[in-house]
Amino acid sequence: MLKRLLKVAFAEWKLIYTDPAAVLLLVVAGIIYAFYYPVPYIHQTVTKVPVAVVDLDNTAMSRDLIRMASAAQQIEVKSIYPDMQQAEAAMARDEIYGFMVIPENMEKNIRGKHQVSVNIFTHGAYVMFHGAIGTAFSTCALTLGATNKVKQIALEKKVPSAKAIAMRDPFPVSIQTLFNSTGGYANYVVPSVLVVILQQSLIIGICVLGGSRAHRRFRKKFRDSPVENETVPYRYFGRSLAYFVHYCSFILFYHCVVYNIFDFPRRGELLPMVVFSLVFLASVINLGMVVSQIFLRRESSMQLFLYLSIPVLFLANFSWPAYLMPRWMTSISYILPSTFAVPAWLSIEQMGADIYDVAPKLYLLAVQAVVYAVLGLLLTRIRDKAKIDMGDM
Amino acid sequence: MILNGLLNTIRKIYFSHNIVLWMILVVLPIGVSLFTMGMFSSEIVQHVPIGIVKQDNSQLADKLESKLRSSPVLNIKMMCSDMGECEHAVIRGEIQGFVVLPNDLERRTLRLEAPVIPIYSSGQNYLTNMFATKEIRSVLAAAGSDLFTAQMEDPVKVQIHSVGNQQGNYQGFLVLGLVTAIFHLAAMIVGVYVTSFPLRDHRVKEILGYAKGSRLTLWFASVFPMNIILWLESLGCYAYCHRILAPLSFEEFVMTAAAQLFMITACSGAGIVFVGVFGLMRMATGAAGIIGSPAFAFAGQTFPVMAMPFAVRCFAFVLPLTHVLMIQSTMMLGNVDMVPAWHSMEILIGMAIFWNVLGAFLMSMRWKQHVRLETKREEAAKLEAQAC
Repeated sequence: MLKRLLKVAFAEWKLIYTDPAAVLLLVVAGIIYAFYYPVPYIHQTVTKVPVAVVDLDNTAMSRDLIRMASAAQQIEVKSIYPDMQQAEAAMARDEIYGFMVIPENMEKNIRGKHQVSVNIFTHGAYVMFHGAIGTAFSTCALTLGATNKVKQIALEKKVPSAKAIAMRDPFPVSIQTLFNSTGGYANYVVPSVLVVILQQSLIIGICVLGGSRAHRRFRKKFRDSPVENETVPYRYFGRSLAYFVHYCSFILFYHCVVYNIFDFPRRGELLPMVVFSLVFLASVINLGMVVSQIFLRRESSMQLFLYLSIPVLFLANFSWPAYLMPRWMTSISYILPSTFAVPAWLSIEQMGADIYDVAPKLYLLAVQAVVYAVLGLLLTRIRDKAKIDMGDM
Repeated sequence: MILNGLLNTIRKIYFSHNIVLWMILVVLPIGVSLFTMGMFSSEIVQHVPIGIVKQDNSQLADKLESKLRSSPVLNIKMMCSDMGECEHAVIRGEIQGFVVLPNDLERRTLRLEAPVIPIYSSGQNYLTNMFATKEIRSVLAAAGSDLFTAQMEDPVKVQIHSVGNQQGNYQGFLVLGLVTAIFHLAAMIVGVYVTSFPLRDHRVKEILGYAKGSRLTLWFASVFPMNIILWLESLGCYAYCHRILAPLSFEEFVMTAAAQLFMITACSGAGIVFVGVFGLMRMATGAAGIIGSPAFAFAGQTFPVMAMPFAVRCFAFVLPLTHVLMIQSTMMLGNVDMVPAWHSMEILIGMAIFWNVLGAFLMSMRWKQHVRLETKREEAAKLEAQAC
């Protein structure tokens, strides 16, 4: 039995390595993407974003505020303008990505115990700039406000400055990130994308090889091959075994090489990783085997899955929360292995989850694997009996 | 006669029961764009699930808990008995973070000892973590300032405005770019398909026959309709997506529309060049996919181009998407200064011309080669038939 399975698996490997399109998708894409995708985020965080300050006050206090802003790590104060129009024009020219407006009479109003409003403007098209500039400027402005409020409290309540600080902020907060201590963008985005890359390239690769089986030239060439005339279960599981072993090596490669090179957190324990690889690859391979029975042309799957890559990425629940999506979309996402695999992988590899923590997601992947296996076997049988003639490869 | 040939060729390429072509030209780009817009239909991040570790059972802790519960951004999903329970819930993905209300919080606060309230976030979900921690911090700060200095207002109030996207709406932040990225990829895939299916199906001679043997006519018949159709679709999707933001002025609309037209022309041209180089639909589609699929990650809307390594910045510069997104983002700022948008437009026009001239040259050679091959095949088939 094992011998028959291995025979099919070896024949499939041979087919993979002799078909340029399959090599491109099943070998080259997995390696190239693993390096190509993380490279833009290699610096991890955004620092020294060019910004400006519009100083309408022009006092010692406003200059203090500008000095504070200049010292912030996230931003770099490029210019100080006397009016907003110049700052807006600089933002339109992409010279700066945001600016802070220090209002007229700021110092006078603060000293006179009147509240002042400091406005921060960020470029509406860039989400990361919005966060970085907003945080840096508001921290500076609020620090200025806090310093003055502490002085005010100390004078009014006649308490020492330490007590005045505690009265202004009775319970300060300390923010800790548990599993991405540097707050790096690559740490957050790349591990999830790697799982999606594995899924997409494997499904398209299986479809490209499956599609070729519908072609006259393939059928003519392999008509008498014992492997192609093997019974359906051997043929199905033998081919699956080839993809499984091939992609296990990719998971190992990502875990041992890519994670090391890009210094991503690597907390995965052996047991959950092995179980994850088993159920995730089983689910993706079986989905690929099902889809490959539907497409008659080799390129059709590529065209479809390339279009779907963006929605698949966002349905994986790592960048935009699933509970904010319409219910019917989350229902659709249940047919994709990545919906459960991405959170499971992040829990295992980034957060060091044990098998019990990720068990619910692994069960769902296992259920997908079984459903797709039954469907795949059924469709393979139907396709075997169908008369398909699609011309040359 | 030329017009007749052009129309006949267009009819042959686009209306000869080619379902796949209409799927990738119309159904998939529009469908995927609408689906992507639908994913962000809630527009802002709300109800982020968090946990509370309440070690202090005082009135102050109850007050803080109820204030956190009343925030629309947060959803208190778990009350944990200890930190380990909340940490495991974070690992399982049930909550995004948790707040620890420490022992003796009230007592130490009233004694002005300033006890620290730790906030833990997973760090694995950029958006939800950012929103949750900001909201927890502001809720706690507001509660703190009410405690001893309720009658004293803060000397400085900060207001953050996102220019062109006042509500910080994620359909504005992300989806406009994503929709453009979908059409960036679509133009490459369709460009590959339209010029390579006659090669794959050995129909170059037949289709060239409809073009009265003119390769220039065949070129126009292949390229012109797909560019116009994709452009109109992308404009429609962009306008639908833009409805939540401030309306564009006429000049801004013309600028955005022109940028999208040149992007589609450049990308379809690049797709055609892949066909010219590889000669095979599957290889050209693979190449288009490898370059086009992750283009959004390089184009600077999520992670800024200025923070990328030099080599990646060069690659980003070569992508038409980067320049279209720059034009679109400039248009969001209103009619302040159109000059930088013109620079990006010049680059896009240059790209459109370069890829199309190169594509036309390479395809002309391919068509010539395939006509020869098809003639040979026909002759061989004739000989075989005669021999039979």
